[in-house]
Amino acid sequence: MKHKRKFMFEMIRGLAAIVIAIAVAFVLILLSSDSPGTALECLLIRPVFSGGSLNVKSIWAILGRMTPIIFTGLGVCVMFSANQFNLAGEGTTMLGGFIGGLIAIYIPMSAGLHPAVCILAGAVVGGLAMLIPAIIKVKLNASEMVCSLMLNYVIMYIILHFLNNTFADRSKGSTQTYPFLETAKVTKLIPGTELTWGFLAAIVATAVIAVFMFRTRWGYAIRMIGINESFSKYSGMKVGAIIIASQVIGGLLSGMGGAIEALGRYNTFLWKELPGYGWTGMTVAILAKNNPIMVPFAALFIAYLNRGCELMSIYAGVPSEMIDIIQAVIFLFFAAEQFMAKTRQKIVVKDAKEEMREKQLAAEGGNV
Amino acid sequence: MFEQLISMVFTTSFGYSIIRITSPILFAALAAVVAEKAGVSNIGLEGIMGISALFGVLFAYWTNNWLVGVLGALVVGAFLGLIMGFFALKLKTDIILAGIAINLMGGGGTIFLLYLFTGLKGNTASLTTPAMLTPRINIPLVQDIPVLGPILSGHSILTYVAFLLVLLVWVLLYKTATGLRIRAVGENPNAADSVGVSVLKIQYIALAISGALSGLGGAYMSMYYSQSWNTGIIAGRGFIALAAQAMGQGEPVGAMLSSLLFGFASALGNKMEGMPGFSSYLVAAIPYAVTIIGLVLYAAATIKRIKKTRK
Repeated sequence: MKHKRKFMFEMIRGLAAIVIAIAVAFVLILLSSDSPGTALECLLIRPVFSGGSLNVKSIWAILGRMTPIIFTGLGVCVMFSANQFNLAGEGTTMLGGFIGGLIAIYIPMSAGLHPAVCILAGAVVGGLAMLIPAIIKVKLNASEMVCSLMLNYVIMYIILHFLNNTFADRSKGSTQTYPFLETAKVTKLIPGTELTWGFLAAIVATAVIAVFMFRTRWGYAIRMIGINESFSKYSGMKVGAIIIASQVIGGLLSGMGGAIEALGRYNTFLWKELPGYGWTGMTVAILAKNNPIMVPFAALFIAYLNRGCELMSIYAGVPSEMIDIIQAVIFLFFAAEQFMAKTRQKIVVKDAKEEMREKQLAAEGGNV
Repeated sequence: MFEQLISMVFTTSFGYSIIRITSPILFAALAAVVAEKAGVSNIGLEGIMGISALFGVLFAYWTNNWLVGVLGALVVGAFLGLIMGFFALKLKTDIILAGIAINLMGGGGTIFLLYLFTGLKGNTASLTTPAMLTPRINIPLVQDIPVLGPILSGHSILTYVAFLLVLLVWVLLYKTATGLRIRAVGENPNAADSVGVSVLKIQYIALAISGALSGLGGAYMSMYYSQSWNTGIIAGRGFIALAAQAMGQGEPVGAMLSSLLFGFASALGNKMEGMPGFSSYLVAAIPYAVTIIGLVLYAAATIKRIKKTRK
């Protein structure tokens, strides 16, 4: 009974945050669009329904776009659970895509094996890169946050150096690598859509991380460190090793997501700036309250909004960057512990009163 | 090649460019110092800089007056600091997450805001007029000193404000009642509370000052350094400032010295970029790599010092 009410409250609180964000979006649309009706329809309805029927192509596109942000979202979940504010998801995603892409171009392999090797290599390199902020944090107690932010830029410029000076296909007008070998591509789950096998991989990863976080000793240790680091230390956990592990897992996941995205969506490696999935992954993790099981749902929501904003910019002339403002608003209210605190207080009081009455009744019954 | 580089470093124009590049980082580093002293980590500096850089240009454009633009950027920055305060202090959003949200807004959000107000997409280069840019100041007497003159004179007025602010922030923190309260709140909020200091009020004030300072940094970027606002104009300077604060041990003068170090690294990178044999991309990574190395060295030195005192 009690739990149910609390759960309902959390749901309502989350919905309220989303409603506020949509309201902000509504005001911005009114201010910036000549046809606010169309814009709003594009944002909310057209990603799924258009012209009275299901917009199948768009639905597959939404599912396809969930893939990379599920990976980065899971990575952030693991790191934030251990209270590690490592923000290098951006850089490791790009690095995973780049390394996966290079193997896809230069090392021929059989069709089934090739994408798997590329994705694993991307994941490993992502994990290795995360060792830098993680070890510096554990050994020297320097902020992993500042270090990881700087690491994003270092990784980006190093990749750009190699992309431009070593691996560029000079016959093309824009800077890109030679095409990936056909064997290496992450194939489409449904031909002619944006949905690849990567989506299934993301769902599997979600299940694996959920089991890891809730059903293994290491997962428990990671969550415990997030709740109380000193307690974990005194109860004999290897806090340093676990902190490093949490960040390396974060890097593995975003590196994997980067490789899958690069090989699934494109024919060559052509990212010339940080892809943005790392930051979106943070919004996803906040929406999911660091719970891996909720990550795909949060990713679905963000991908839906993203698609809506895109359609809005095509059909109603509202810049698609509005998504960042909506995300920021959701982010702020979702993470706000005291948002609607008065309502929660009322619920707690009500629960306590009921409990007392029950006890009183039981006590009176006992006396008779 | 190396000799060529050395001869480039020992020129007055190199010294001039160090100061030019250091200024925006210095504003933001001082912003980080004030917030951190009050016990709140303001990682929204990057976003605040980007948003106030945009509003600086817009205010200057609407009034065709750079001073209004600079003041506008300052007010917008302070306002954003207070918004962060509202969420972090009142609604108890983790301050780091509140900062990330502000940075999200500073990323794509500014592009949207620019379109909303002007219909432009991506940059404001077409709006720029000379009256909107902060003026360069030639300092009388100083400009005639050999070597030092051309390095120190002829900068944007905001550069001199930035270095003056190092002194002002130090005075604020160590010579005023508000500063004493800020430090007390940062060191031990419960103790400060027990002697009647309003912890929340002081943290709001610190965040507003922090926002205003980074707002000035933003104004410097869009109204002097790159002469207009464009996407990605801040390029991690707000994050570098966080590192400068950490390396400068959270003190105004220390933050200035580490900002100068990053200024030096960037200026060196810029010089190397034009030379054959250097990759412009690797060179662009130098300031960020130097930041990591600086953090590591500083943290290692701190640990060594602690060990020594224990012995």
